[in-house]
Amino acid sequence: MSVILKADNIVKHFYEPEKFQVLKGISFEVNQGEFLALVGKSGCGKSTLMYVLSTMDTDYEGSLIIKDTVLTNKSQNQLASFRNENIGFVFQFHYLLPEFSALENVMIPALKLKRLSRTEIEEKAYRNLEMLGLKEQALKKVTKLSGGQQQRVAIARALINDPAIIMGDEPTGNLDTINTQIVFDIFRELAQERKQTIIAVTHDDDFAKNCDRIIEMKDGQIVR
Amino acid sequence: MLSSINNRISQVHLTTDVKQTIVAMLGVTFGISMYIFMTGFMSGVNDTQADLAFSALAHVRIYNDGPTDHSNIAQKIYPNDLVNVRNAKVIKYTDGIKNSAAILATLAKQKNLTGFTSQVNISVFFKNAGNKVNGTVSGVDVIGEDKVYGCAKHIIQGNWSELKYRSDGIFVGVELARVLGLKMNDNVNILTSDGISRNYKVIGIFRTDVLSVDKSKAYIAINAARQLLGVNQDYVTDIQIDMEDYNNTQPLIDNIKSIIPYKVESWQMGNQQLVAGSSLRDTIARAVSLTILLVAGFGIYNIMNMTINQKIREIAILKAMGFSGGDVTKIFLTQAIIIGILGGCVGMVLGYIISRLVNNVKFEIAGMHHLPMTYYPHNYLLAFVFGLITTFVAGYLPAHKASKIDPVSILRG
Ligand SMILES: Nc1ncnc2c1ncn2[C@@H]1O[C@H](COP(=O)(O)OP(=O)(O)O)[C@@H](O)[C@H]1O
Ligand SMILES: [Mg+2]
Repeated sequence: MSVILKADNIVKHFYEPEKFQVLKGISFEVNQGEFLALVGKSGCGKSTLMYVLSTMDTDYEGSLIIKDTVLTNKSQNQLASFRNENIGFVFQFHYLLPEFSALENVMIPALKLKRLSRTEIEEKAYRNLEMLGLKEQALKKVTKLSGGQQQRVAIARALINDPAIIMGDEPTGNLDTINTQIVFDIFRELAQERKQTIIAVTHDDDFAKNCDRIIEMKDGQIVR
Repeated sequence: MLSSINNRISQVHLTTDVKQTIVAMLGVTFGISMYIFMTGFMSGVNDTQADLAFSALAHVRIYNDGPTDHSNIAQKIYPNDLVNVRNAKVIKYTDGIKNSAAILATLAKQKNLTGFTSQVNISVFFKNAGNKVNGTVSGVDVIGEDKVYGCAKHIIQGNWSELKYRSDGIFVGVELARVLGLKMNDNVNILTSDGISRNYKVIGIFRTDVLSVDKSKAYIAINAARQLLGVNQDYVTDIQIDMEDYNNTQPLIDNIKSIIPYKVESWQMGNQQLVAGSSLRDTIARAVSLTILLVAGFGIYNIMNMTINQKIREIAILKAMGFSGGDVTKIFLTQAIIIGILGGCVGMVLGYIISRLVNNVKFEIAGMHHLPMTYYPHNYLLAFVFGLITTFVAGYLPAHKASKIDPVSILRG
């Protein structure tokens, strides 16, 4: 088993409203193809850690290595193109582009990457949406969709570039049991069949229980 | 390139809030149309003034400037002593231009001339019965004079070319005719400063709309003027030259000054006030229109800034998905440029329409009928280019700001 992500002694402070250490030296490794759950009480720093792991937040101490690439201290533009290719991210609040259709939202990261032709990307985006039960909604503007549907669009978008790592901050937070199960099964399959790595923050005990491994956080530290 | 995702995003941004896009576009449109109108109008005014001025003024004039002052030659020989010559006189050896044929031959070889003509100008008194008016009689080469000054179009009675065959014929200015009570075929008496007097028959009347000319000038054939003075066929007082570009007289002057032993003078040297007037008008037109463009630029800057503040979340999402700062700059700069191009094209059309409308406004002074206007393509092109530069700068600043947005600080909420 090869290590795909290595976090080493990650420390992060917030300075507003007062200096406050959110992450207090977080170290762990994730193997390729692992399906990992990150749990912990609200406010313990899970979202903050996910932003660091996703390379979007660069204001931390310690080091982050993904796919043998040291990402700490890389430029914003280098990180952006690394994210585009290697990391699929589902935000806690499904952030979609409101002026575009569901299909276009899913296609955009792939159109940016340009690994496939436009028609291939479109087909793939349709397949992803279908897999998440959204085939009928593909051409609708995302603002016309329900919260749960929007969240699934965000998941379809995170998968479009076949990223090495898929990170989700409560990706099933807005979904009913059936759809949670669908998303879980998709993640499971991606990890097993395609050796993609999944790191998902969750409050759902059933969801966590069925993952390969659970990391529990408390007050900015890993406790389990 | 056109189908790239960045352009697709720009396009969606422009089309989702069409009203805002149109407002930004109208800013450019207004700026460019005003620029076009202002420069068209000002150059129209300048051209009209030049037309008026050049109905009585050649672009370059060659004449005998009078003798140099040699009255105190002794001083040059004894520069260190005080030499005083009492009651010194400047003696005039030559009067007018004697070797005009040689000069005309030289001019024929020059480039960028549209025409030149010789004149014998004589200061005279015009007399009709008791009335006496002083003025100038111009002995002119009938065809050449028309080429340089376009006098035929100022004739209100008579036929200009007839002057060629009538050594006793004279064309008088309309005001001069009024003061002397002259009508067609009346006789007018001319008295030169040397006391020679002769009668001519009025065979035409002209109006240049330059009052000083209309009330003191008359034309006779050049040979008739030579007869009046008793000089030979080569004698002229002035050679008047017209150029292709009246603003560009200096090269010709530099060329011929050294080979012609008389004064060679451009209209600019003799009429500094005209030059100053037209360049001041140009400056005003340029300052006003650039100010308008600048204001339009501020408009675009504000709207782009507003758009970017509205779309700050989307920009953060794009960056989270892997769009670089450069991509974001491109997305918003493209919008600004499209606004600039569309606004510019509409602005050129609107500028043309405004110019046409103003051009139709009645304005009946000094021989004009309507407000003057020009439609030079280069002014339209320049307005468009200025408009594009303005939008580019006004769009670049907010776009650059957008590219610097830190996605986490926005998305963390
Ligand atoms: N932008 C911020 N500025 C200051 N404090 C913050 C900011 N975002 C989060 N926090 C604080 O950091 C802690 C961790 O927050 P977060 O990572 O969102 O927790 P979780 O996702 O585990 O619920 C919380 O105490 C929260 O109040
Ligand atoms: Mg959270």
